[in-house]
Amino acid sequence: MNPLLVILLAPALAALALFAVPESRTRWVRGISVVGTGIALAAALWLFVAYPSAPHPDLAPEQWRAGDHAYKYVVATDWVPSIGLSFKLGVDGIGVVLVLLTAFTIFTGVIVSFGIRDRAKEYYISLLALVTGVFGVFMSLDLFFYYFFYEIAVIPMFLLIGIWGSTTRTVDKRYATMKLVLLLSTGAVLALVGLIATYATAGTFDMVALERHEFSRSFQLLWFPFVFLGFASLVPMWPFHSWSPAGHAAAPAAVSMLHAGVLMKLGAYGVLRIACTYFPDAAATYLPWVGLLCCMNIVYGGLVAVSQRDMKLIIGYSSSSHMGYVLLGIASMTALGVQGAVFLMFAHGLMTALAFSLIGWFYDQTHTRMVDDLGGLMKVMPFVGVCFVIASMASAGLPGFANFVSELTVIVGAWESPMLARWHKIPAILAVWGLVITGVYLLRAVKDIWFGEISPRWANLVDARKPVERLPFVILVGALVFFGFFPQTILRVSKDGADQLVRRVAGDLGPSADASPDRAASAEAGPPAEEGR
Amino acid sequence: MDLRLDLLLPEFVVAGAALGAIVTELLLRAGRRARPTALTAALGLAVALVLLLVQQPEGTAMLVRAVADDASSPMVTGWRSDAFSVFMRALAAAGGLLVVLLAVPYTRRMDRGHGEFHALLLFAVLGVMLVAGVQDLLSLFVCLELVTINSFVLAAFKRNDLRSTEAGLKYLVIGALSTAILLLGIAFVYGATGAVSFAQIGLAVGGAPNALLVLGLVLVLVGMLFKLGAVPFHVWIPDVYQGAPSPVVAFLSTGSKAAGVILLVRFGHAVLMPSVAAPGGVPWVWLLGAIALITLLFGTLGAISQRSIKRLFAYSSIGHAGYLLMGITAMVAVRDGAGPDPVPATTAILFYLLAFFFTNLTAFAVIVLVSGLSGRHEGSSYAGLARRSPLVGLALLLALLSLAGVPPLSGFFGKFLVLAALVGKDLYGLAIVGALGVVVSLYFYLLWIREIFVSPPADGAPALRPGPWSTAVLAVGIVAMVGMGIFMGPFHTWAHDAARSLVALP
Repeated sequence: MNPLLVILLAPALAALALFAVPESRTRWVRGISVVGTGIALAAALWLFVAYPSAPHPDLAPEQWRAGDHAYKYVVATDWVPSIGLSFKLGVDGIGVVLVLLTAFTIFTGVIVSFGIRDRAKEYYISLLALVTGVFGVFMSLDLFFYYFFYEIAVIPMFLLIGIWGSTTRTVDKRYATMKLVLLLSTGAVLALVGLIATYATAGTFDMVALERHEFSRSFQLLWFPFVFLGFASLVPMWPFHSWSPAGHAAAPAAVSMLHAGVLMKLGAYGVLRIACTYFPDAAATYLPWVGLLCCMNIVYGGLVAVSQRDMKLIIGYSSSSHMGYVLLGIASMTALGVQGAVFLMFAHGLMTALAFSLIGWFYDQTHTRMVDDLGGLMKVMPFVGVCFVIASMASAGLPGFANFVSELTVIVGAWESPMLARWHKIPAILAVWGLVITGVYLLRAVKDIWFGEISPRWANLVDARKPVERLPFVILVGALVFFGFFPQTILRVSKDGADQLVRRVAGDLGPSADASPDRAASAEAGPPAEEGR
Repeated sequence: MDLRLDLLLPEFVVAGAALGAIVTELLLRAGRRARPTALTAALGLAVALVLLLVQQPEGTAMLVRAVADDASSPMVTGWRSDAFSVFMRALAAAGGLLVVLLAVPYTRRMDRGHGEFHALLLFAVLGVMLVAGVQDLLSLFVCLELVTINSFVLAAFKRNDLRSTEAGLKYLVIGALSTAILLLGIAFVYGATGAVSFAQIGLAVGGAPNALLVLGLVLVLVGMLFKLGAVPFHVWIPDVYQGAPSPVVAFLSTGSKAAGVILLVRFGHAVLMPSVAAPGGVPWVWLLGAIALITLLFGTLGAISQRSIKRLFAYSSIGHAGYLLMGITAMVAVRDGAGPDPVPATTAILFYLLAFFFTNLTAFAVIVLVSGLSGRHEGSSYAGLARRSPLVGLALLLALLSLAGVPPLSGFFGKFLVLAALVGKDLYGLAIVGALGVVVSLYFYLLWIREIFVSPPADGAPALRPGPWSTAVLAVGIVAMVGMGIFMGPFHTWAHDAARSLVALP
């Protein structure tokens, strides 16, 4: 059976099966969710390993040239023939990486959510519906179903945050969840109008055919902003980012994990797969400006994070700061930058998922996330504390973690980008300074929460002891370290999709394209300058 | 042209069932009438539905025998049974069937009038079914009045209830006004062209511009927009929806609205499209587009502040009328450098209506269950509905999301098709407003969803146990919303065939 179908259907069928389970059987509910997402994770891992050597099914061997872009594991069936709508799945390297990230995040997210006892059945149904949508977006090769799954991924957030979220001093969940859904939907419907215009002009929903379709320049200049802003508001690009930190802060742990780990990547994926690929001329015109805007993400997001005292808001703003690097990599439109962006999506997704799951662990017990209320927690929960320090170090860009490699790749890409040349390397320099800012707020948070004097009221907190409690943290830390030491495993997979895009938009792959995986890999050996704080 | 009564067999069945409901009531003792009358009515509609789906009769029959029946006379009028009319009649019958079933909790509590209630409802449904085939202004008037007059009585059915009486009276006064306008329009059109059949009027509008004819057409259009509930002809909707019994509102918001849509589609194809194509033609696209835009904005923005669920549905139904009118606009519009191509837009309208029927009726099934018995319509009586009954909560959740236009529910594909039809005719402005309207409507639907799922049930609110009939309606509604939202292919094809049958008209 096609691995993509397995990945898509496993959580969907699990959600359906949950409808049949009685509400009181919480163990069954958890079991079915673990099995469903576990199957998806296994299939995603298999896909990741098998992808580079898989044949290209939609091209005959004589048509296929080395480095050519093609989707693999394609499965297609007519859906609404009268308007040319078909249900078509397929992945390229970028899709494979993001599918793997999603599978990691949801599997660990399901386990982290074991603490949820209130209305667990509805919770897991919403969670699985959400992740089905996410998988669908990363694997759809039909524009209609791309949007279809995209919306499915947004709406369950409303229930997940609204019911199981928390209202704290900093954020009202009623406000946060409504803002999140409405802003994301606004972006989505604006993108939808652009997508329909694309369909009306090209006459097909088939994303492979659309990639090869040449749209007129005026058409591209008109519709690129709709599609780009629609997706970029989910990234979230400054100044459309304000839904995101509030949403993080109000959401339960697993939802924050999915939200930062995966949902934001839907936006970046849409920018890559739709906006830049279909409208390359417009992308070449507009992307340099995006390169400036995303510096606001990096610097402004970072500075706001510095002034936050709620741990989830810190990570929330830091996410919006880090997604600025992803946008920067895309805006650089060099092979290095785009591959770095894809890799950073992966690394950042793992890192935030880890951070939010750890915050969830102590928040469940302390019922406060305010940095000032906490302190010295390392004494009572050393395992969680160490994992948290690891997550912070990864986020701050310490060598040995996937984040370091990817951020470095993005910065090098931005430095060498011909597209950003008009800004005289300023974006790249600001991006380096962004890493310093990241270090400031994360190290301070680590110090204030985990070290120092412990308040007596935290003396009875419990560490993660059982294997099942530690499993999600172990998986995420392991993945961060593994892909930090072996970045070429990711870069090898994502290369075809990234190269094809860059060739389409920028004309050539930019400087140092051929050396990209090796350079990024070897860079990890040497100590980088910006770590010497 | 013959009097081919075989084409009208489903309609005869419905009329028979309506009379049967009255007879059933006469034969039974008071207190035992609720179920048999409902069963008679449901059976009649079910048979009519099956007949329509199985037979799919095609042909033209004479419905209104006017002054002369000589073929050359302009007064000869016909009634068509084509794929479009079969689609709409089946939809009307299915909708009527669901209304009868979802009304069971309501009708069981009535102490008298079971026969009348079902008979009036069936006659109104019959009117909608007949409207589906009209080919001329005279039968249009007669069929439309069949819907309208029965609706007046139904709206005032709770005659001891002040609000219901008020609703009936308001509806009657405003409805009579719209009828008068429609008649005046028909008179003008006949005066200008000497014709009542759509085809002949269509030929006449292609000629030189004629102020009397245009005035007449505008007035006829106004009569149709009244039925649809488009701004500025919407004023009756909120008060009537609020006061009339919930099952009646369920019919008004679906069947009665469908009558307006049917007429706009038929009239649009036969008259407005030739008029748009004619040199120096009337700017129908601008007119309809402006009304669609205002209707959409008024309905969606007005719904935000509603605290009563029936008023919410009143405003949201105005908003949906806006989307349907956008579809009509796209249907009539001509893309630069291309011929008239109404099929995508008509398909969109039909699919939208199909999705809207099942979605809205599911929602009203819930309203009858929750509010119909208690008489309380404000948000707090819906608090924690998902805890009181998971099935009812799920049904209302899906219905609200489908109305907002969220995948994987049927309402999404309907909205998608309408937007695609607009973009296909280069009406980008309308498409963008329509898309943003989705966000606004999402806001107020989500406010209610929060009430249903997040808020705890009010103290002492009992668990809700829907009866077998209501459960069946909810199940059908859920299956229809999700089924048409995911496996939209066959339904789209059906709507597509129906839309194409209109273009094949002589």
